[in-house]
Amino acid sequence: MNSTRATHAARRGVWPTLALAALAVSSLLPLLVLLLQSVGVSWRWPLLLPEAYTTIAWRAIAGAALGAAALTSTLLALATAITSVLIALPVGRALATLRTPWRHVAAALVFLPVAAPPIALGAGLQVATLQLGLGGTFAAVWMAHCVPAIGYASLLFLGVFGARDAHDEEAARSLGASRAQVWRFVLLPTLRGPIGDALAICFLVSWAQVALTLVIGGGAVRALPIEVLALVRAGQDREAAVGALLLVVPAMLALSALRAGARRTTALPA
Amino acid sequence: MQRAALALRPMLLALVVASPVLIGVLYAALASVGVAGAGASGHVALDRVVDVLSTRSTWRAIGWSLYVSASATLLATLVAAAVAMRFGTIRRTDRAARVLATFPLPVPHLVAAATALMLFAQSGLLARVLFAVGLIDVPADMPALVYDRAGVGLILALTWKEIPFLAVVAFAVRHSEHDALSEAARTLGAQPAQLRRLITWPLLWRGMAPAVIAVFAFALGSYETAVLLAPVDPAPLAVLTMERFADPSLARRGDAYVLALVGLALAAVAVAAHEWARARWSA
Repeated sequence: MNSTRATHAARRGVWPTLALAALAVSSLLPLLVLLLQSVGVSWRWPLLLPEAYTTIAWRAIAGAALGAAALTSTLLALATAITSVLIALPVGRALATLRTPWRHVAAALVFLPVAAPPIALGAGLQVATLQLGLGGTFAAVWMAHCVPAIGYASLLFLGVFGARDAHDEEAARSLGASRAQVWRFVLLPTLRGPIGDALAICFLVSWAQVALTLVIGGGAVRALPIEVLALVRAGQDREAAVGALLLVVPAMLALSALRAGARRTTALPA
Repeated sequence: MQRAALALRPMLLALVVASPVLIGVLYAALASVGVAGAGASGHVALDRVVDVLSTRSTWRAIGWSLYVSASATLLATLVAAAVAMRFGTIRRTDRAARVLATFPLPVPHLVAAATALMLFAQSGLLARVLFAVGLIDVPADMPALVYDRAGVGLILALTWKEIPFLAVVAFAVRHSEHDALSEAARTLGAQPAQLRRLITWPLLWRGMAPAVIAVFAFALGSYETAVLLAPVDPAPLAVLTMERFADPSLARRGDAYVLALVGLALAAVAVAAHEWARARWSA
């Protein structure tokens, strides 16, 4: 009897442990491979680990194209995040005042730039940027990145304002607060969490863009993903791995910010 | 009447947000019929649309891209749902599983594809492990998992990339599950297996449906994963569009707009399905 119970317990214990181990390998191994690749020397077939290690590719970042590309991407992502949130905040708030079926139509419209294939979106946007005389410039790529980012942030704010009780706004207005005062003293303080989330999401949308940057930047705007794509295709694995890790680290930090925001708003599980 | 007036300003704002896509669609449509863009003749002609849409490679590209994104979405959904079902409690191991499952969330598609190349190429890490355990002797013995017609490497990379997002959604759905419903079913005599089949799974699926459709659209439109891992033939839709777009021949460059329209039409179907799912199930 006791041994049967022990066998059952063991069986229950093995599968979750195996599943947990599989999850750990699946989530962490790819990043470990990148890390090894970024410092490995003479990693020839069929070696499981590199013969020697060097930090040369890491030390060369500052002077290499990767460093300049990382700076370009940081500026692009920051500009995109701030612009998109400033635009999406009032859009989301306005959309939340809609009732069905209009709300669904509006949500579908706002979701379009998010779901549209970036390459197809870029093909249409390129003409507009050329007509504005901005072809192949940082400004054109920034505007293009804002298109999907505003879509994401508007959807997020639609959800936030849709679930929000508007009584405090009404109370402030009835006590004589101006529109600006309602934003300054009622809305912005209570929306700090969602605004942080939206900034992080928009930063990531721009940070990871490849196709839009390629089409709109025309190869002249060397953002980090463009540089990494070129290195991977050229077979320069060590530099490509360094670039890939450079792409991952700020993204992880942005996600940590998002998680910190989520804990305050309980939008995501811990 | 008053309600319609109240809806006007928000609807206009939604239109402004969507306008880059709508203008893009208009321009691509005009370029497709030869009125605008590279090689425009100035008058409406459907030759280009007919040419592109009657080419076998176009339909192979569409079919192959749909197959790859549907397979990756299905796999990622199954894994995310299973993880959410198995690791849904507040136990420490479950919390660790949730952190691990969602850890790669912010990894860009490009990094997922580059890593897949290092893992699955014929002299990649997987091949080295198979050599170490004596299953293969030379890299050529390794079955092709990248640039392969079955798209195995591409499907695995997209699956790995999309699991964390779907897992976040699945955990959130389980977190908000209506305990009252399960409680009522239990009181009425439902067995654990019945609870899972009749309550937990349907609720999970309904909650996940909009995110699953969004993931399908992202996988379908992803250029960087396709260009690094897909075969030359059949070329995925995103890669074919980019190739035509950069073609030195002006005539072929115009084909890119027809392909872009196809991509946008597929995305529009996904958007409609997404909103339908949200309207039907998320309330």
